[in-house]
Amino acid sequence: MIDIINLHKSFGDLKVLSGLNLSVKKGETFSILGKSGSGKSVTLKCIVGLLVPDAGDVVVDSMRVDVNDRKTLSEIRRMIGFLFQSGALYDSMSVRENLIFSLTKHDKVERGEASGKAEHYLTLVGLKDAIDKMPSELSGGMKKRAALARALVIEPQILLYDEPTTGLDPITSAEISELIKEMHGQFNITSIVVTHDILCAGIVSDRAGVLKEGVLKYTGKLNELVKIEDEEVAGFFRNPL
Amino acid sequence: MKRFFIHVYELTAFSLRFFKEVFLPPYEFGEFAGHLENFGSRSLPLVSVIGLLMGLILALQTKPTLARFGAESFLPAMVAISIVRELGPVITALVVAGRVSSGIGAEIGSMKVTEQIDALEVSSVDPYRFLVVPRILAGIISLPLLTAYADFLGIIGAFAIMYISAGMNWQLFMTSTITSLSIADIVPGIAKTFFFGFIISTVGSYFGFKASGGTASVGKAATSAVVFASFLILITDFVLVKVGILIFG
Repeated sequence: MIDIINLHKSFGDLKVLSGLNLSVKKGETFSILGKSGSGKSVTLKCIVGLLVPDAGDVVVDSMRVDVNDRKTLSEIRRMIGFLFQSGALYDSMSVRENLIFSLTKHDKVERGEASGKAEHYLTLVGLKDAIDKMPSELSGGMKKRAALARALVIEPQILLYDEPTTGLDPITSAEISELIKEMHGQFNITSIVVTHDILCAGIVSDRAGVLKEGVLKYTGKLNELVKIEDEEVAGFFRNPL
Repeated sequence: MKRFFIHVYELTAFSLRFFKEVFLPPYEFGEFAGHLENFGSRSLPLVSVIGLLMGLILALQTKPTLARFGAESFLPAMVAISIVRELGPVITALVVAGRVSSGIGAEIGSMKVTEQIDALEVSSVDPYRFLVVPRILAGIISLPLLTAYADFLGIIGAFAIMYISAGMNWQLFMTSTITSLSIADIVPGIAKTFFFGFIISTVGSYFGFKASGGTASVGKAATSAVVFASFLILITDFVLVKVGILIFG
């Protein structure tokens, strides 16, 4: 479903990705683990065309991500839900407006129907009562839930999560991780989760990989990664931050 | 200095993109209406005060000088021409730039640093078409109307001074004002405000898009937007005055 082939990306002299390869199957949840600044978010942004790689290819559902091919890029983006690290809710719109924005804009869904869908997905994430609140009135956990509902409401085939539990307390982090797992079970979505939260990765992923020196050094099930006898990787699991 | 020219180059490319995007669907009528209200209606109180003060101060300052030459009766004409040709358009543009350009810079800048612009892109919404085009259109349409309103209030302010200090009646004042104004005063005065409106929205949006990193860059975007917009308004005014003189004499 998602193939990343020999991806390179640098910012000036700073080499972030240097030949990253990854293949994620349909319905699978893959977690990319790594220290801050290791290039996890850059990888996600290359998948949706927010960043242009220096070399290499990203192929989503047999379509190559190419920022110059706006039509294909738009088709790819409409298959993808993206949960941003900060939530990135539009702060000039209510939670309801945030959810129906994409539906009314692209899918030409009638406003009443879109509003019904928004209510349905907000109920799923346990946020129905906040539907008419503004993002500034929500707590950190509520923002993440609302952002997850916004990502789900377009009924995507793929969901990309950029640090879904960052900035949350351990209890809310676990709740969000369980929610992500529940949604995947319900909708069979292919996902990539970028995180340095091992607990979150343990709950949501089928497979995981450690991003180090611009490449995925080790991939496999999380319980296999923990056993790897590499001092740096072991150290990362001991002290992921 | 190098950074200044980089801004000029990038701002030019950013501005030119408007002429391509404005004709392409989808047309954001809802957004346009909202920005029209922000740019136009919400600037009215400020423009009202500034417009009135402009006429009051100009009349107050000029009256003693004209009286010294026995030319007090020329005051309505002098004030009207000064306001309609130059002071009205420029002062209104500078005041609105302070209010709107900084607001646009801060709003778009904060959207940029909180990844809301990325979220728009990922939703296949072109941020330029959604955020910038309606703002520029609102600027182009609102500023000429605000300027005409400020001009009118400026003339009223001048009348107030003449009425209080010299007992001049409304009919005489307006006759003197209207007969002194010609098309060559009104057209260039209003025409340049289309450019100023374009500058205010474009510069604000450009610096908003340039914001990166943390909240400090949002403040910087707002400040840079006002400074650069004011500077460009004065430079453009200088050029347009020259062009106006060449065309209308």
